[in-house]
Amino acid sequence: MDKLIFGRYLPGDSIIYRLDPRGKFLITFYFIGIVFLANNVASYALLLAFVLFSVYLSKINIGFFIKGLRPMLFLIVFTVLLQMFFTPSTDPLWKFGVLQLSTDGMVIAGYILLRFVVIIFISTLLTLTTTPIEISDSIESILKPLRYVKFPVTQVALSLSIALRFVPLLIDETVKIMDAQRARGVDFGEGGLLKRIKSFVPILIPLFVSSFSIAYDLAIAMESRGYKDGEGRTKYRQLHWKKIDNYTVLVIALLTVCLLLVRSY
Amino acid sequence: MANIISIENLSYTYPESESPAVDNVSLEINKGEWISIVGKNGSGKSTLTRLIDGLLEASSGTISVAGQKLTEESLWDIREKIGIVFQNPDHQFVGATVEDDVAFGLENQGIERDQMVREVDQALKLVDMQDFKNRDPQSLSGGQKQRVAIAGVLAVNPEIIILDESTSMLDPEGRETVLSLVKDLWQNKGMTIISITHDIQETALSQRVVIMKNGHLVEDLTPAQLFVMDDLKQYGLDKPFTTLLKEKLNFDPEYQDEEELISKLWKLN
Repeated sequence: MDKLIFGRYLPGDSIIYRLDPRGKFLITFYFIGIVFLANNVASYALLLAFVLFSVYLSKINIGFFIKGLRPMLFLIVFTVLLQMFFTPSTDPLWKFGVLQLSTDGMVIAGYILLRFVVIIFISTLLTLTTTPIEISDSIESILKPLRYVKFPVTQVALSLSIALRFVPLLIDETVKIMDAQRARGVDFGEGGLLKRIKSFVPILIPLFVSSFSIAYDLAIAMESRGYKDGEGRTKYRQLHWKKIDNYTVLVIALLTVCLLLVRSY
Repeated sequence: MANIISIENLSYTYPESESPAVDNVSLEINKGEWISIVGKNGSGKSTLTRLIDGLLEASSGTISVAGQKLTEESLWDIREKIGIVFQNPDHQFVGATVEDDVAFGLENQGIERDQMVREVDQALKLVDMQDFKNRDPQSLSGGQKQRVAIAGVLAVNPEIIILDESTSMLDPEGRETVLSLVKDLWQNKGMTIISITHDIQETALSQRVVIMKNGHLVEDLTPAQLFVMDDLKQYGLDKPFTTLLKEKLNFDPEYQDEEELISKLWKLN
């Protein structure tokens, strides 16, 4: 479970950590959108420079970001190779049946690779520097307008934060159940794929049952502490939009303008 | 002394069960009293406290808390007066961090944020957990988690604290700190403590013990009277260490706490 960098928070302190999570969250999505504006060397260079500068500001070792690529490696290699050998060209450097290699193809493959890298780096940056609870707070704050169409925003946000809070507990529970089943002779690492999947059934069922009993206990505890239905509650955790967040928005706006200027039409 | 809780002819039967879990129980609890409820598993102790807090709706009988009768309307007022600390520390932690969790009850009451910050700090100070404010629950020991749970209860300023086997999952050290904290609150803040327990040492701290069996209230006595009872096992309790020792030494059967026993042992020499 430790290997998974993508989606994990890394405790630390830097300007990126201190940015308002709502801003970080929205800017990340916006950035992923404008990545698709880039279509030449200059525009990709601009994106890469922006991402690397953000990584530098975060004071997080770049190794963490490269590790973040790993789970996506297969997809990246597959897509890049596909672009490289299947881009149609009138002037191929090398041809074998349907496969052909051309300068155009290689350039496009390079762009695709860069696109993957900047998108994964920027989303890794978001999750490494933002606690899950900050992300859930941001989602609540961003969804707030939906209250007017009777969407239960505060309830959904509370469920989300409770779900996040219980992830480590359920992992503990899973380890416990696995140990208990191992003690009874279940082998999780052996056999073919089907057999391995089957061996997870005796984990899932007890896990399911114990999740229900935890949920029941928690519901009783919440009710005894006066939780009604989310209406009329105040919030202890608060987000503060600071000057620096305005600047970040300015920077990203500037980046958009530059991208529009250098991209070719 | 005035009654803070009075229960009259209370009965409750779980929907899937045939016999009542609580059967015609009447009980008066004085303000500022520390009362232990003991009995075997399934004797109706936890059910009784859940009925008092309105977490279950009684089949018959009445409950009054601080002069207010428990009804659909008074339910939330009464819950503000009662704080419950449950058995499993992991299953009652709502917040992502210690301070968030302590604030949960205050958030429910719609308290202003500035006031919340003050009350959270104060509550954490009372349980001596102020240095752990930003920690996540997973990084705490069982005893620390229960202290945070107590802080969460104290933040809303209840008159009654119910300990529902709160120390049963803790190691001896955690149990010690939690109990000494409760003792402190009881002595200095005049709170009423209701403790459900299987731990004979914990009952020694209380002023009064009621024993439940099959949903009935069968005994209402002092800890000293309890400890000299012959058959404690049938109520899910072990004899206290001092009683066991005295039996072996053929001392007179009256209950003494550890200190009294030590002075007596000294005289033997």
